[in-house]
Amino acid sequence: MDLIYLRMRNRVHVQKNQQVRLKDVAKFIGDDEQVKKIEEEVLLTVTHEDKNIIIIDLVQVIEAIQAIDQSIEIQTFGPSQTIIEVIYEKQKVSFLAFTAVWLLLFLGAGMTIMNFHVDVSMGEVHQKLFTLITGREDRKPLLIQIPYSFGLGIGMILFFNHFFKKRFNEEPSPLEVEMFNYQQDLDQYVIMNENKESNRHLDNR
Amino acid sequence: MITGKVVFGLFIGLASGFAVGAGFVAFVTVLGVIPRLTQLTKTMQFIHYYEAAIIAGVVIGTWLGLQEVKLFWTKWLLVPIGLADGIFNGMLAAALTEVLNVFPILAKRMGIQEKVIYLMMALVLGKIIGSLFQWIYYVDL
Repeated sequence: MDLIYLRMRNRVHVQKNQQVRLKDVAKFIGDDEQVKKIEEEVLLTVTHEDKNIIIIDLVQVIEAIQAIDQSIEIQTFGPSQTIIEVIYEKQKVSFLAFTAVWLLLFLGAGMTIMNFHVDVSMGEVHQKLFTLITGREDRKPLLIQIPYSFGLGIGMILFFNHFFKKRFNEEPSPLEVEMFNYQQDLDQYVIMNENKESNRHLDNR
Repeated sequence: MITGKVVFGLFIGLASGFAVGAGFVAFVTVLGVIPRLTQLTKTMQFIHYYEAAIIAGVVIGTWLGLQEVKLFWTKWLLVPIGLADGIFNGMLAAALTEVLNVFPILAKRMGIQEKVIYLMMALVLGKIIGSLFQWIYYVDL
């Protein structure tokens, strides 16, 4: 009896009409000859009906291995399913759409900060602060307000740890962590909902 | 009678202070600005002093804001104060944007994961220019 260790990969990118072999969805360790035979086994061929996400469950891989040799004993670890993402063509980013979103964010951010300042009477507070420190009155205390405005931007950049391409240290920024979490949530959803092995409808046959 | 009114007044003042103070701390905690600052500067061990700084700032700010104090100091002191004020507000604004979770969805929808930084710079520049526009031009309208 031979023992084979297998670990499912997390995410695999494939193209249309490509053959997916067992070695593409999992890593196998064991008897060299046997592993080679298993690895080359074709699991499926990507067709148009597959849309863009295919979930390969661990049991499908075990099934495929047992079809080759019943006597193999399998030890698994790692994730229990692989997400296969079908890339149809390189997604082209529309420059126009990007510019539109950029302008939307730019103008929106500018307007919301102005609304916020009016809402919390920021101007009055600045006037009062000017009087507090200098003892004089000034309707437009620009000496506070211009550094304040640039400070706003500096604070946001500090928080996100990014100035265009430049970063201040090795740690991932909160934004990158947020992107990662969002991707994880999406993966969790497709694993549960696109996986043929995890949902079964017995109600309306 | 008089002492009754005074005690009642003190009680109301203290109670409203409790509510506002607790709200302020909850707000700052949810947005996670202080952990972010300690992470950037690698000064986790001083976090209690940062707490003290926030409390001292709130108490002194409240007191000065309610008095008619005039200090007659140089006006150039206002530049660092304004800058610090802006950085703190900017961090709050960034944290709020992040909590709202807008960017990941927007980037995913548009398929521009690598260019999120540019979208972020749109927000940053928008805030700076919107704010400058307001103080320099808009207040005169």
